[in-house]
Amino acid sequence: MSAISSALRPPRLRSAGREAGRIALAFGGALVVFGAFVIAKGANPFTVYSDMVRSTFLNSNSIAGVLVKACPLILGALAVAVPARAGLVNVGGEGQIVIGAVAAGGVALALDSHLPGGMVILLMMLAGAAAGAIWAGIAGVLRLTLRVNEAISTLLLNYVAIDILLYLIYQPWKDMHGSGQPVTRQLAVAARLPLIGGTQVHAGIFIAIAATLVIWFLMERTSWGFRLRVVGGNSEAARRAGLPVGRLLLSAMLVGGALAGLGGMVHYAGAELQLRAGMTANLGYIAFLASWLARHKPIQVAIAALLLASIAVAGDSLQINSALPAATVNVLMGLVLVAVMGGWGLRKKAVTV
Amino acid sequence: MSTIALEIRPARSGTPLLSVEGLTCRFGEVTANDSVSFLVQHAEIHAVLGENGAGKSTLMKLVYGVYRPTEGEMHFEGRKVSIDSPAVARKLGIGMVFQDLRLIPAFTVAENIALGLPLRGPRLDRAAVCRQVTEAAERYGLVADPDALVRTLSIGERQRVEILKALMAGAKLLILDEPTSVLAPQEVDTLFAGLDKLRSQGLSVIIITHKLHEARAICDRVTVLRGGRVILSAVDPASLSDHELVDAMVGRSVPALPAERPPTPHDAPAALELTGVSVKGDRGQFALKDVTLSVHRGEILGIAGVSGNGQRELYEVALGLRASVSGSVKIGTTDVSGGSPAAAIDAGAVGVPEDPVADAVVPGLSVAEHMALGNLKSFRKGLGIDWKAVRASLGSLEGRAQLRMQGGDRTLAELSGGNIQRVMLTRALAVQAPFVAAAYPSRGLDVATTRRTQELLLEQRASGAGVLFISEDLDELMELSDRIAVLHGGSVAGIVRPKETDRYEIGRLMLGGGGGEQ
Repeated sequence: MSAISSALRPPRLRSAGREAGRIALAFGGALVVFGAFVIAKGANPFTVYSDMVRSTFLNSNSIAGVLVKACPLILGALAVAVPARAGLVNVGGEGQIVIGAVAAGGVALALDSHLPGGMVILLMMLAGAAAGAIWAGIAGVLRLTLRVNEAISTLLLNYVAIDILLYLIYQPWKDMHGSGQPVTRQLAVAARLPLIGGTQVHAGIFIAIAATLVIWFLMERTSWGFRLRVVGGNSEAARRAGLPVGRLLLSAMLVGGALAGLGGMVHYAGAELQLRAGMTANLGYIAFLASWLARHKPIQVAIAALLLASIAVAGDSLQINSALPAATVNVLMGLVLVAVMGGWGLRKKAVTV
Repeated sequence: MSTIALEIRPARSGTPLLSVEGLTCRFGEVTANDSVSFLVQHAEIHAVLGENGAGKSTLMKLVYGVYRPTEGEMHFEGRKVSIDSPAVARKLGIGMVFQDLRLIPAFTVAENIALGLPLRGPRLDRAAVCRQVTEAAERYGLVADPDALVRTLSIGERQRVEILKALMAGAKLLILDEPTSVLAPQEVDTLFAGLDKLRSQGLSVIIITHKLHEARAICDRVTVLRGGRVILSAVDPASLSDHELVDAMVGRSVPALPAERPPTPHDAPAALELTGVSVKGDRGQFALKDVTLSVHRGEILGIAGVSGNGQRELYEVALGLRASVSGSVKIGTTDVSGGSPAAAIDAGAVGVPEDPVADAVVPGLSVAEHMALGNLKSFRKGLGIDWKAVRASLGSLEGRAQLRMQGGDRTLAELSGGNIQRVMLTRALAVQAPFVAAAYPSRGLDVATTRRTQELLLEQRASGAGVLFISEDLDELMELSDRIAVLHGGSVAGIVRPKETDRYEIGRLMLGGGGGEQ
């Protein structure tokens, strides 16, 4: 039997090409189904697609918009990918992003007029990451001590985080000199992430890229990454190999949470500049899709996040040009995810004799 | 009588029950079965003999509809059949018990068996199923507690349930893939008595095996496969000598183990020392009760016993994988009573697990990565892992073990059971270790590899390791062990020296001491 599978096994490059082809096929399938949906809504799919492409990629503002959205998305997606390597399902990206933004906001509101900007930014980053880590860590501890499924606890903690945000912006942190809207005051200019070359793109994109590379290194090149894969693959084998399974699971959750929290800080200090209701716009859930799309491999995860960011931005053009609700684009994202994951299912079936 | 009464045709009709003609099965360029023909009669026990890779399992999977033949045809009960899936096979009355058992661990025995029964209506009558299971268990001599969770059963017990399940689903032809590789001699006797009963009821059984004496003990006919071809087809085993059968199977002779072995030094320190150890099993019951044992360096201590009498827990507690409730467990001078796999590894202990797929194989990881996992600490380099060192060590272990292991880049989980076992053996038996625990190390291996594994255990002993050797093959235990400890009901029923005892004495101890039923 063994000789058979080795004979049929394609070289690495060819297999990578096949995988890309499969993803493209799945993507095409999703576009066709979405096209049917668009027709049903009374619009012409070709116009819709060409509008989406033109308005997203041929317009410098939109490209900037994609990059701005990509910052928290990439960090949020990595926050799913790291625990997933250890076999954990972190659905709590949204809450960890929110709590990271809240912590960064707390630091900023207290200190941004007292300390130099660079110092404040650094403290905000630390606070955001720490808050995200704590938020994910709660789920990790619950899993290890009370065997609470982390998918459920992280999901529920999202609502808690969002309610904390709402409480703070309606009550103690509300901007007293503003229009009466439930928002915090604007971040001091010095404490904002610097913009790049007069666009709206902020330095957060560098943070996201750096985080991607660091996580890639940790996952693929360190003993920690290897041990996480072992735990994720067969935790009993990990235990028997003498690995500290509990500590590894917790570390994966903490690192994941810190990444999402950092994503919240970046989104706040680079794009939103104030805390408000709905500031995260489901970024945490889209990030979840990105990680699953890319099967939790750091570089691919970042690319998938960028792709979903452009679909999200393209959604705005749907509303403007085709009079379809902006949420329509969520249908497209869902279709892409189902199609790509279905494609893997096919591949697995093909391999098993 | 009961709702699962088997439809039996007692008399032998003229046509064979199963006839296989010119069956060929190719996977890509590999021909697993080459024009195989053989007949199984009604009320017959038929052995398919052959080494690993001879094509026995493939042939049976063709009969059971798991694979489809490239060429050839099959007749069942005189009718030409095309068995496209296991469901079709089961409908015809062909049942199969695989070597890697396929029960659902989280279900009870009765629930697992109910899955194989035709459902009447939406309601599952648990009480009725339990009653049927108990009845059938008695009828076939296959003891099974219908309410036990499968997860908590030993492999031997699980196999019994699988056989019962196939029988209760209405099999007229039962295919057993290496059924005795997980059973103790007494259980083998029970199984064979059960099979004999089935035969007298008119059912037929095919046993895939590589053990000659089993083929002789129970089978009416044997078919020998080698390299995918039939060497002997449906012959009476009594008409051939062992030598002729081995020649047919192996095509070459297997060297004997060295008879002369260096004696264990009298003052050898203990490699493993258990003092008054009690351990709880997964069901919360005491699986080991007040066990006191020691394995000295340069000694092989064999562990005999009917499966499920504490062997698994003994293996686990000896490697720090399970905490003891009371007593002390020491590997050399390291105390691992509280259950610390890491401390056991640091103390130099290595193990060959009973169930590698569940307990040692990580999906997606390569053979080389599993090698690193065996002793991760020694391969750490800064933040990372020194893969060059892993590869170098892989090469040298392979050279020492000579077990024809697959390449380091292969994904372990995709390999066959025998090839996975070779990796487990190479990882544990080719290193210098003060203490080795090996649970059923030769399970599922061909004759030559089994012999090589036994040599490796002796080499470990010669280089000063203490070896805890758990096996259900008494011949193997008597051949290799310096002393044999017999487990019964979680206690040590006795410790004997193979030279001063015989199989019956050990059998008595296995059945609970002086009872003398054997």
